[in-house]
Amino acid sequence: MEKLLRIALHTIFCIQILLVFLLLVESKVQLPPWLQVAGRMHPMVLHIPIGILLFMVLLMLVQRTLDTTASLSLTTVIRIGLVVTSLSASFTALFGFFLSLQGDYGSTVLTQHKVSGVVFSFLCYFMALFYDWQKQKAVFFGAGAAAVFFMLAAGHTGSVLTHGENFVMAPVTSTNKEPLTADNASFYHFAVEPVLEKKCFSCHNDSKAKGGLIMTSADKFKAGGKNGEAWIAGNPDESRMIKALYLPLSADEHMPPDGKPQLTTPEIALLKAWIKTGASFDMKVADYKPTDSVKFIAAAFTPAQTTSEVKTEYTFKAASEDVVAKMNTPFRSVFPLYQGSPALQADFFVKKAYEVKSLEELKTVADQLVVVNLSRMPVTDKEVSLLATFKNLERLNLNFSALEGKTLAALKDLKKLKLLSLSGTNIHAKDLEPALAAPALKEVYVWNTPITEAEVADMAKAHPAIVFVRNSFHDNSILRLSKPALENDGVTKRDEKVVLKHTMPGVTIRYALDGTSPDSVSGILYKEPLDATETFVIKARACKDTWYCSELYETTVFVEGIKPTNTTLLTAPDPQYPGEGAQSLTDHRKGLADVLKEPSWLGYRERAFSATFTFANDKPHRMVISYGRNLGAYAFPPAEVEVWAGQDEKSIKHITTLKLEQPQGYDANKVAPLTIPLSTEAYPFYKIVAKPVPKLPTWHSGKGDKGWVFIDEVFFY
Amino acid sequence: MENNEFIKQRYHITRRHFLGKMSLGIGSVALGSLLVPDLFKSGGDEASLLAGLPHFAPKAKRVIYLFQNGAPSQLESFDYKPLLNKMAGQDLPASVRMGQRLTGMTAGQTKFPLVGSNFSFKQYGQSGAWVSELFPNMAKIVDDVCFIKTMNTEAINHDPALTFMQSGAQQGNRPSMGAWLSYGLGSENKNLPAFCVLLSRGRGNGQGVYSKLWSNGFLDSIHQGVQFSSSEERVLYLKDPNGRDREGTRKMLDKLAQLNDMNYQEFGDPEIQARVQQYEMAYRMQTAVPELSDLSQEPDHIIKMYGADCLVPGTYASNCLLARKLSESGVRFVQLYHQGWDQHGNLVGEMPLQAQDVDRSTSALVMDLKQRGLLDETLVIWGGEFGRTNYCQGDLSKDNYGRDHHPRCYTIWMAGGGVKPGLVYGETDEFGYNIVRDPVHVNDFHATVLHLMGLNHEQLTFKHLGRRYRLTDVAGKVVNGILA
Repeated sequence: MEKLLRIALHTIFCIQILLVFLLLVESKVQLPPWLQVAGRMHPMVLHIPIGILLFMVLLMLVQRTLDTTASLSLTTVIRIGLVVTSLSASFTALFGFFLSLQGDYGSTVLTQHKVSGVVFSFLCYFMALFYDWQKQKAVFFGAGAAAVFFMLAAGHTGSVLTHGENFVMAPVTSTNKEPLTADNASFYHFAVEPVLEKKCFSCHNDSKAKGGLIMTSADKFKAGGKNGEAWIAGNPDESRMIKALYLPLSADEHMPPDGKPQLTTPEIALLKAWIKTGASFDMKVADYKPTDSVKFIAAAFTPAQTTSEVKTEYTFKAASEDVVAKMNTPFRSVFPLYQGSPALQADFFVKKAYEVKSLEELKTVADQLVVVNLSRMPVTDKEVSLLATFKNLERLNLNFSALEGKTLAALKDLKKLKLLSLSGTNIHAKDLEPALAAPALKEVYVWNTPITEAEVADMAKAHPAIVFVRNSFHDNSILRLSKPALENDGVTKRDEKVVLKHTMPGVTIRYALDGTSPDSVSGILYKEPLDATETFVIKARACKDTWYCSELYETTVFVEGIKPTNTTLLTAPDPQYPGEGAQSLTDHRKGLADVLKEPSWLGYRERAFSATFTFANDKPHRMVISYGRNLGAYAFPPAEVEVWAGQDEKSIKHITTLKLEQPQGYDANKVAPLTIPLSTEAYPFYKIVAKPVPKLPTWHSGKGDKGWVFIDEVFFY
Repeated sequence: MENNEFIKQRYHITRRHFLGKMSLGIGSVALGSLLVPDLFKSGGDEASLLAGLPHFAPKAKRVIYLFQNGAPSQLESFDYKPLLNKMAGQDLPASVRMGQRLTGMTAGQTKFPLVGSNFSFKQYGQSGAWVSELFPNMAKIVDDVCFIKTMNTEAINHDPALTFMQSGAQQGNRPSMGAWLSYGLGSENKNLPAFCVLLSRGRGNGQGVYSKLWSNGFLDSIHQGVQFSSSEERVLYLKDPNGRDREGTRKMLDKLAQLNDMNYQEFGDPEIQARVQQYEMAYRMQTAVPELSDLSQEPDHIIKMYGADCLVPGTYASNCLLARKLSESGVRFVQLYHQGWDQHGNLVGEMPLQAQDVDRSTSALVMDLKQRGLLDETLVIWGGEFGRTNYCQGDLSKDNYGRDHHPRCYTIWMAGGGVKPGLVYGETDEFGYNIVRDPVHVNDFHATVLHLMGLNHEQLTFKHLGRRYRLTDVAGKVVNGILA
């Protein structure tokens, strides 16, 4: 044991010599890499002597209270402890030297740190040597006190080197700084410096100038570091400082080093913009050209400023997030006006879900409520007194609520109320009048209430500061009704009723089936749904007092007929519009005149449409060909239609040929019926041929081209 | 199990990620916005900026975007250019055209004859804004409106231009503006989607619209626009199926939620929770939507305001009325598309019909919001995807003409929600071809809308495929000149 201690003390002695030597000639020392590693362990091992020394001090104090035997056994422990302290202090100091040789800490703080460290390690050695020398207790304790003092000194200077000045107290002291604004400070001090202070200053300051660069003062910052200038004014991309930010995190040159807080994208943009515009330390935001990106970036950094602005506006405290969270239900949203704002808005939704209780619950955040929106909720006069307790309320929306207004006077106590919206309520002027005494009131909405224009004028006179809005859409012109419409969709079944409808309550609809156009007095008054036996064209018009009658509504009601037992196409449709072959003609699927490229349509151009239809028991007397009329898309009525009939395919003969009148100009697209009476003698077999227009008329943009025939359905009755 | 992607995913979560997620997750849920699962996904700096709340005090809480699909001509609506009437028939000087690329439709034309508006213009209101005779009702609201005459875009054809206007990129698959707002702000009313889409078709020649325009892109599917149908059933598949009552649906959803929760416990995939939330919302929509879409309860004078068509589902007028009701109920972003504004030919015949369809109900919407005290917190936007050329496409006849696509300038307007009322912003040259002062690029427009909603367009980002995306991508500046 004694031998071990002796070896330790000798080692410590050697290190002390080495330390003094190093202190004198350090600038000439070159370190091998493995010693650099040892140096980097300095921040770790330094905690050992501190901890043990303090523990030894504690033990010595404890020792004084003990009896002799116990005290003696502690003496050995303390003796060993002091040797270990001294040994670790010596190594710490040595490693510290190794570290200082690698870094760029050319400063007075470093010298102070070195000296105090070396003195501390020497004092520890002294204590370990003379612990047994009980005669001179005073010397020993004096050395101990000095050791603790130098330990604190070395510790403090060390922390300044790693964390920068005022690291510990910064959270408390820095708040005393007067806030900078974009107006009173230069752009550098307002926006750039805070970023550097947060992310760079801890290593690039007077006491710890990594890379020789000191950023804390403008002059030294301009001078740059040992590798040259930190930036090239006007050229951020070539600036050393900016490049370092963009290097991969793993690169040695990357700044800030891996593990330290990195700059955010907007912060980098800020630094770049600052360098781009000349890296001025004095220019204020207002001095920059309006097009300079500095302006916009400064704006991006101002949310903090806006918050502080509004903080003065709202002096009350924010409710806790938990409380606000609890206020939220699917039917009641309560949220801050924006990030960090103490002011709350409460919205209520879905009439059926509203209860008085849900409004009462807001009492918890009564002081924070600035906006309350109860639009369309069945709020009654009883709740007004509750609303009047929200003393910071600025905007209150009670549109279309169930208020009668008897208790509205209570709102006059709301000192901050600016906007009161009562549209669509049953409130009278005399009930509103007392509430207008609210001192901050600026806007009152009384549209769609019993309050008259004259009453509004009187109130406006009595309260010149308030703008009243009663009705902003002045218009007495008479308008046209929309057209009625058919409720039936697609092909109507034979037992189905045909229903005309109109979305406006209280209209009368008149219709005609004979081709005439009904108006407000002529035509048949529509009272009940119509029966449908065969396809027909209906024209209808809607009328109502104080409105113009609607435009004429005209449509074809296609009604299902006798279904042929067999349908065969004799000519194939154009490959572009094949439909679904013959079955498209009888599947009761109607096409749209605007969308000819869908399977309900068969299109013909080069050839005439030709198909045969076979019937078993029911033989038809009339047929309706449903064709598409879309003149712009060359879809014309057929030029002519031939009808052939007979007992079977072989015996058919020509019955009739119909030449169709062709349009004289563009008209609306529609699916139109072509009704053809068949012979009175009923045949079981028919052949139909429909020929496309061979040449489009001269008024058409495709004059001279061939026209198309589109057929989606053929009905027989 | 080793091959399970979810399990693998969890091995890859780093400590920092995990901690970030934890604090953020608690924050966003506590703030009471609808659970936004992207917050769990993205991590990193931008996520801390997003908690379903605006970055700063918003001017507008909701947007109603009345998109005029097909591009209405600015020269027949709000950008009055008498010089074109004087120079009618003369060729567009090359010094004005300055090499502007042309669409395939006029690239073959040897002449570009200028043509003035067939419709007369007058000045209205205190602002003295010019409005053509086609929009007599919009003329009445000019003092509530801010016209931007200098919108400009990069695309010259409908699909890319539309996609650009809606999503900030000419190619598809990026989130639409409504989806970004839903992502950034969450939902105000948990009984309705934050982003609703309404379609209508006018009587003019028109391009279609496609669901990619209201896509959530790479954002969570919860942010996709919900298209309302023009049929009686406004939201498809919302009704309980025949034979099952609401009670039954409730029970089914409870059981399903239990199963989903078991899965969530095992895999931790936030999409599972998003799905449960969506089922719950759909259940609540079963009550909320019929209450909203029932237009029959609207008072008579409201119907007179919007016009009789507002009771016919699927018309622009009824969509305006429904948009007002949705917005009033806290829907963040209501997007209308009105088709039929593509007047390459027969402009004189078609444009009046198109204008008639939208004029009355559009101004009624603005006024209706105003009389309810909602206009100052609702941003209404009216406009198309680009402008139309000052020269005629095809043959210029005495009484008719057409106009091709023009990207360099077009007019849109905004009203309410923090925009300066009664302002005409920007100026085009006498030919109505180039911008002279204060251009507003599509990216700037997006930045401004986000700004009005309390969002910093540079901070509203989402990390996808290794990089952060924004609605404004790498450009865009807030147009301060139009802010109230």
